[in-house]
Amino acid sequence: MSELLDCRGKRCPLPIIELSKKIKESELGQQVLLLSDDPATAADLSAWARITGNEFTIVSADNFLITKSR
Amino acid sequence: MITAGKYEGQHPLHPKARQILLDAFDQGWADPTQISSQGRQAQALLAQARESIAKSLALKVDEIELWGEPELISPIAIWGAPGFGAAPFIYGATERSEIIGMRAKSKQSFEISVDIDGATDLDLLTQTLQPNSIVAIQSANIETGITQDLKTIAKAVVAQNAHLHIDATASGARFAKPSYWSTLHFDARSWNGPAGVGVFALKNGARWSNPLPHTKPTRSPNSFSIPLALAAASALENWIIDEAANSARLKSLIERIRNHVKQTIADVDIAGNAQSTLPNIISLSFLNVSSEQLVAALEVEGFSVASGSACVASSLEPSHVLKAMGLLTHGNMRINLNHDVQDGEITKLLALLPGIISKLREN
Repeated sequence: MSELLDCRGKRCPLPIIELSKKIKESELGQQVLLLSDDPATAADLSAWARITGNEFTIVSADNFLITKSR
Repeated sequence: MITAGKYEGQHPLHPKARQILLDAFDQGWADPTQISSQGRQAQALLAQARESIAKSLALKVDEIELWGEPELISPIAIWGAPGFGAAPFIYGATERSEIIGMRAKSKQSFEISVDIDGATDLDLLTQTLQPNSIVAIQSANIETGITQDLKTIAKAVVAQNAHLHIDATASGARFAKPSYWSTLHFDARSWNGPAGVGVFALKNGARWSNPLPHTKPTRSPNSFSIPLALAAASALENWIIDEAANSARLKSLIERIRNHVKQTIADVDIAGNAQSTLPNIISLSFLNVSSEQLVAALEVEGFSVASGSACVASSLEPSHVLKAMGLLTHGNMRINLNHDVQDGEITKLLALLPGIISKLREN
């Protein structure tokens, strides 16, 4: 079961900062559904995944499914 | 000095250039196309300035035109390239937005991607090139300082006899021309010259026609300010003195910043590598940091830095340059070093930065 993180209406870099906090508190394998309509989120999410070693898939334009992978 | 401007020259004018500028307002105000004695004097001063600029940039004097609105040079150079509009227009993903914007005027445009180090995909470029292509590539990027392999790019372009426009506004006189090029664009701000003077170069023998409305054969509107042109020439002459030593010193300071940040701060994206960036620019992006807060925190300590992040730009869009490279677009700061930077400024900055970042990350 994925947890919901609704960051709609929040500007860069808040969605990524909130996601980082959420993932830090999560167990390995936990999934988080991030809702974000900030134009920087999609680009920053792939850089975030590369830096932190986590995985994500783009569900739709402002829906991202993140998996804590390490 | 560490400057927040895009250009090294968004910085006080060189003192000699400033004096020339002030004197020139007394001497170089007349219309050089008129046969009055004042006109002849203005014409003589201008001819000297053009010769000096051409010499400093290792160009022929009949290859250069001065422009009063430098940002227009690249669009006009591309627009006037043979067949632009119908011909394939090829540009790098990290070009300046004025150049990328030219795709709206072309029936076929192709964006060439870059890798995480900012290097243009040379295989894709070679596959995309056709004999009538118009290629626009920057010598260096103004946000990251990353330079392109112009030698290899020029080789691919010349094989197709295509048009090669090079945007040299970020590198300025630090630019090693490849053996093949068609048009070039320089901005006097890159050598501590005044804003409002650009150099458009058209290689002798290259095909290009002025796309602006004109009745007489002309390559430029020639409506630039003569005093500013004289100051730009003087600033360039002064900038290139000791350039090799200056660049070597700036390069070692940038390397110090790169190594210190890597060693003391986790989760940071540093744009490009030491081998392929200009000696005076470094772009750093810190994960989970707000650029707005970072720029403000450094300002309090007396440092002016620029940022490519959306939260400090007028638009909501993040930097297309960082995005194209796949680097973090938030928490970005760009350090731009001028010739006169003191080693102590960098020591102070590096002593403060880890603490500032960790404090901002706690918030």
